[in-house]
Amino acid sequence: MQTIGLPGTAAPHARKPGLWGWLLLAPMVLWLLLFVVVPTGILAVYSFCQRDDLGRVVFSFTWDNYVRVFDPIYLNILGRSVAYAGLTTIICVAVGYPVGWYIARRPAGLRNLLLLLVMIPFWTSFLIRTYAWIAILKNEGLLNGLLLSAGAITAPLELLYTPVAVVIGLVYAYLPFMILPVYGSAEKVDNALVEAAHDLGAGPVRAFSEVIIPLTLPGIAAGVLLVFVPAIGMFAITDLMGGARVPMIGNVIQNQFFKARNWPFGAALGVVFTLMFVFTYLAVQWHGRRSQR
Amino acid sequence: MLDGALGIWTVVVFVFLYLPIGVLVAYSFNSSKLNILWESFTLDWYVQLWSNAPILRTLKNSLIVATGTTAVSVVIGTTGAWLLHRYRYKFSRSLQTLICIPMMMPEIVMGISLLIFFTAVSLPLGYVSVMIAHVTFCFPFVLVAVQARLQGLDPALEEAALDLGATPLKAFWLVIVPCLRPAILSGGLMAFTLSMDELIISYFTTSPASATLPLKVFGMAKVGLNPMLNALSAVFIVTTIILVLFSEYLRRLGTRPAQAA
Amino acid sequence: MKKSCCLILAGVLALAGCKSKEDAKVLNLFAWSEYIPQTVLDGFTAETGIKVNYETFSSGEEMLAKLLAGGVGYDIIQPPDYIAEVLIKEGELLPLDTAKLSGLDNILPEFRGMPHDPQDAYTVPYMTGSVGIVVNTERVTTPVKGFKDLFKPEHSGRIVVVDDGRELVVAALYTLGLGINDITPENIAAARPLLASWFPMIKLFDSDSPKTALLNGDVDLGYVWGGEAAILWDEDKKFQYILPEEGAHIFVDVVAIPAKAPHPDAAHAFISYLLRPEVSKLISDEFPYTNPNGAARKLLTEDQLANPGSYPKTELALDTFRHIGESGALIDELVTDLKNTSGQ
Repeated sequence: MQTIGLPGTAAPHARKPGLWGWLLLAPMVLWLLLFVVVPTGILAVYSFCQRDDLGRVVFSFTWDNYVRVFDPIYLNILGRSVAYAGLTTIICVAVGYPVGWYIARRPAGLRNLLLLLVMIPFWTSFLIRTYAWIAILKNEGLLNGLLLSAGAITAPLELLYTPVAVVIGLVYAYLPFMILPVYGSAEKVDNALVEAAHDLGAGPVRAFSEVIIPLTLPGIAAGVLLVFVPAIGMFAITDLMGGARVPMIGNVIQNQFFKARNWPFGAALGVVFTLMFVFTYLAVQWHGRRSQR
Repeated sequence: MLDGALGIWTVVVFVFLYLPIGVLVAYSFNSSKLNILWESFTLDWYVQLWSNAPILRTLKNSLIVATGTTAVSVVIGTTGAWLLHRYRYKFSRSLQTLICIPMMMPEIVMGISLLIFFTAVSLPLGYVSVMIAHVTFCFPFVLVAVQARLQGLDPALEEAALDLGATPLKAFWLVIVPCLRPAILSGGLMAFTLSMDELIISYFTTSPASATLPLKVFGMAKVGLNPMLNALSAVFIVTTIILVLFSEYLRRLGTRPAQAA
Repeated sequence: MKKSCCLILAGVLALAGCKSKEDAKVLNLFAWSEYIPQTVLDGFTAETGIKVNYETFSSGEEMLAKLLAGGVGYDIIQPPDYIAEVLIKEGELLPLDTAKLSGLDNILPEFRGMPHDPQDAYTVPYMTGSVGIVVNTERVTTPVKGFKDLFKPEHSGRIVVVDDGRELVVAALYTLGLGINDITPENIAAARPLLASWFPMIKLFDSDSPKTALLNGDVDLGYVWGGEAAILWDEDKKFQYILPEEGAHIFVDVVAIPAKAPHPDAAHAFISYLLRPEVSKLISDEFPYTNPNGAARKLLTEDQLANPGSYPKTELALDTFRHIGESGALIDELVTDLKNTSGQ
């Protein structure tokens, strides 16, 4: 059984880099150092500082911000964010995988066209798109109107400003980020392989679960990464479609820099959030590598 | 049969994706300025859109920034993915983790820290600073998409090219890149989309001259998102779809004689 | 890839280079988005030849964050009163040169010498507004006079409030009869049970556009910005706006010049321009907030002045927000905690 190889595990034939290998990698490493490591480093320093009246950083050392981060309330909020992100990812795999696969099996010209059509809706403004969803889901909205006139329901469903609306919004926003990587990976699968499975007597379900899915696992893994990771920090959708009744970790961090004017605490939250991600990611990678051996 | 079922499912998903777009376009003909309730049909917003210089300027800025971001992200993301696949660097895994950090980092943290950094190195805010910020969180998407495609790629392919005397760079350009094209396309599309929609990081890293459309749109929420914005989205989407269909049509025209020959 | 890096570097240098040249006649304005009509900016440029770079933010906190993180080179900023207060205290604003200003007399007496700037030495009021209760009188027939009537069990699930911790805590402090600028741990503790009873009744929190849910009919009552109520009233007279009887406050958005402004003369000229009655009227025409400019108010229509969202009738003495410093964190903690426990 093949395990999910996280993107990034070097190929078995990978070799030691020569001068060129290092030289070509240098710009990316430099970019990451300059625009990710250094700014994050600045914030890490801030997280040990105190603040003044304006919320500005005062350079005097304290652990307080980190003590506060581990207050159960913030862990609870982080848990909720992860849960929403997880649910979104699962639904996106279930909904998006077949689409990615289907598009990959079309003739070449149609493929690119369909791929673009998946993404084009998202070239509208986020806010306008979300307000369109509000018009669909509100009590006197399109969906309730349709269902009422079809006689499927007798009273309008309360959808907007509930967790259901939030999940619809999140799945909508992240679905393309599942479909596209799955497509990238499925497009490579040789039709002959699929046919061979059929010829050997595998039914469509068995061919799918034993041949197709394993072959496209890298695409699924990439999609999971691209949906799950950004979804944890998302809060605009929960605010607009969920009525901002529950805080997400993204809200909490943003509030420290805006409303609460406590940059050091916001920085500490950011640092801890980042470190949690790093350790989880490294652990998954390590586990993946071990089980591959 | 399975194919048919998948086809139906794909249609259902496309309906889901385009449902709000349909509503959005319908509301672009709404005469109500607040655009929350339907009043009556009008084409006024399309007319007004033409003369609204500030909105058109922010759209232009968004397109400049998104195009630049996509170009740089595709270059960095694709070469990065290939190098990490081809070579076993000492710190490959740490690097991989580092690459994913911008994807999860809350926008506010990234926006503020980048602004502090840009100020420290006295880089003036403008197109360059916004693009740097956007590339930083967009290129990982390209990289991850390309990596997924690279997995299981037959190493013989590149080796054959090298055996035939191609330099590694030439082998990359002539053999690997064409093979990665679908993933590069999807990665590029994701980068472009993310850049078009980014709000908070753009706020911190932009100047008035390079302000992007989302900044304008979010500002307008306070007085009402008037249907002009819907009209803008509608025009943009319809133009894109027409361009795509047209280029596809041209491509088919171009390939047909070749097939006949 | 190296090529692209070189290109970027060249771009940086080119941009850095031209920035310093075109300095002669510009004004860098950092203000709320959708608050200064384009016609006003165009008029100013046409008259003075000074080009306006209008950079926008969408909350006072957003402005402060960018200002503190390194946004520099602004000539005019537009902070709310309580942020202006601390900017003055920290020496971040330039004292106004009254000799270079005209039209200061147009400001109504009640908007002069306010607590954030008692000598009117640094700031000029731009627009003001209140926060109050808006009721859809078609759906809610019982009279609503204050917070006690708003947060009643029969209104549960029909209320929208601004997503602003300080406004919510202040509503509770008013109801309890406590001072709204005394954000102490004791007062926060006193407000907590009251807010905890309110939060489950709230259908949604929305600071950006609470009018949406009201117009859609998803909620029938709201605790919202006066400006939102004014837009609602314009749309449909069924939306009535009142200031809560327990107490109400106004906020004043001011214009001010940062201490390090590169073009202070242009900034003074711009403030004078904004003070003109006919210019100030243009602002009121487009954005229905409370205009502190008495001379401009005389030019407004009866309909504009009758809008309760813009010009609420009240006998209350209206408070203003003061700078509360680190206590902001207490409010944020309380609201986050309450949302976390009362939500799903």
